[in-house]
Amino acid sequence: MKHWTDGFAEDDADEPLVRPYTITGGRTTSERGDLTLITVMSAVPEAAVEQGPGRRKLQPEHRTILTLCARPQAVAEIASALDLPVSVAKILIGDLIDSGQLWARQPAYAWAGTGPDMAILKAVRDGLREL
Amino acid sequence: MGYVNSDQEDDAPLAVKILIAGGFGVGKTTMVGAVSEVAPLRTEEYLTHASVGVDDLEDLSGKSTTTVALDFGRISIGSGLVLYLFGTPGQERFWFMWNDLVNGALGAVVVVDTRRLEVSFASIDFFEGRGIPFVVGVNCFHGVRDRTPEEIRAALDLDPQVPLLLFDARERRQGRDVLLALIDQLMAARPHSTPHPVP
Repeated sequence: MKHWTDGFAEDDADEPLVRPYTITGGRTTSERGDLTLITVMSAVPEAAVEQGPGRRKLQPEHRTILTLCARPQAVAEIASALDLPVSVAKILIGDLIDSGQLWARQPAYAWAGTGPDMAILKAVRDGLREL
Repeated sequence: MGYVNSDQEDDAPLAVKILIAGGFGVGKTTMVGAVSEVAPLRTEEYLTHASVGVDDLEDLSGKSTTTVALDFGRISIGSGLVLYLFGTPGQERFWFMWNDLVNGALGAVVVVDTRRLEVSFASIDFFEGRGIPFVVGVNCFHGVRDRTPEEIRAALDLDPQVPLLLFDARERRQGRDVLLALIDQLMAARPHSTPHPVP
């Protein structure tokens, strides 16, 4: 993956976009508008996943996500581990939510305007003081 | 969210984020790396933006795609909370449109380098314009403190209530102190917070 210091946007605009979207079967946007960079994903234990004909055929990337999420991971961490753009990772994550194999936990302060909770700010402050 | 299961929810930490902004080469990734519990991770995103000045009627979408990359780190706060630090990409005109990056941030640290204050102007303007709380961290990694905080504040045209700290982005504790200044600012700004005696 290129670092942002390697070149500026004008050069990047012509980068081929084909490969990542092959993984998603050509889909370029997630149908889920509710996944953010820091939505935390965790894998549902296999035994708790309902088996059914509706289950999607998994790509290797789907399996990698499930393995990663044995420990809860944010969407940004999953995208980084897969070396895929965030929007592509979100499509794959959405598939696994739809199939009941991943749970999502939304961030504490997901949308602008709601404001962080005082208890959370205190917890962050106390945690930082211990660093 | 309908798909959140309450049993499972207890296992996953609650996430919050702070943006580490500022211009090219001011030490954002250095700061993220110094305070993060893991080496900075890198991720990228495709951003679609309306082309500026396009008058070609055949270009019906009027859009083009740009790739931006950022480095981020994490700090676990106990077992139930994780603070993510996102160093913003260098190309400001693009990340400013990356709503998922900006939305929901507790606030931001704008890192400035006294030798090139101007590269961080756009970040300050952005957070002021969006009403996102921020503090300014003056990175003195080169050991030169050739300007006083007052001079830097004047040069940046900072509002008096915006905290400004001198720090070394390579030093974990100093980076931590900049983050704490932001949290203190957020707590002080809470409209319904009850006053408490200063210890």
